[in-house]
Amino acid sequence: MVDNSLITIGKIVAPHGVRGDVRVIPLTDFPERFQTMKYVLLDDGRKLGIKEVKYHKQFVLLSFIGLSDRNAVEELKGKIIKVTREELVALPEGHYYTFDIIGLAVYDETGTFLGIVKEVMPTGSNDVYIVEAENQHSIMIPALKDVVKIIDLQSKRMTVKLQEEWE
Amino acid sequence: MSRSIKKGPYVHESLLKKVEVMNSKNEKKVVKTWSRSSTILPSFVGHTIAVHDGRKHVPVYITEDMVGHKLGEFAPTRTYKGHGGSERSTSLR
Repeated sequence: MVDNSLITIGKIVAPHGVRGDVRVIPLTDFPERFQTMKYVLLDDGRKLGIKEVKYHKQFVLLSFIGLSDRNAVEELKGKIIKVTREELVALPEGHYYTFDIIGLAVYDETGTFLGIVKEVMPTGSNDVYIVEAENQHSIMIPALKDVVKIIDLQSKRMTVKLQEEWE
Repeated sequence: MSRSIKKGPYVHESLLKKVEVMNSKNEKKVVKTWSRSSTILPSFVGHTIAVHDGRKHVPVYITEDMVGHKLGEFAPTRTYKGHGGSERSTSLR
């Protein structure tokens, strides 16, 4: 049974070499976190101890305790590496994990309900929160301090001040 | 072949006009544009421009390091949702 509260940090894409290393695509903003990890949790519920961590091009190379040849790790291809919520990297103030933002109820400054955040879209400049309104229309809210006034994760609520549009 | 220096950078005329009007009045409004090929000029810095991605307008806040790039570079036309619940963070600019 896979726990839905687990967070994805990487995907095993292929074996690497003949000594039991695997190539992992990091699906985290902190690929250096693998260096401090003692074990990994796989999406099938298995827990594997980490023997060594190396970095190669865009990949993280992991080798596991007890898996020392290519044939032993071949079946790990396609597996997702997860961590528990307690193991997440602590973020500085004003930073939020996207899975915490998705699902927040969005209100304007007058208290009018606008919709639910469905997606966080990176643009290369600011992130954009895609809010799905009740009438199935989506509102694009730029993640700017001038626009997003309050993010309250406890009450799952976001307060925004929508910007005026050029007519 | 690169664009002639004599012509200067390309910016859609009406977009430039709107930004200039806002700068002269010292106001900030979101300007919608379909012109993804317009170059970002220094006068755009601090404004939010909603760039069309083929389906909707993506609000992009212009900062100094974006000057010289095209608007379309900041409104991706293809969406990859990725793996749900991954360790990705977001912050307010």
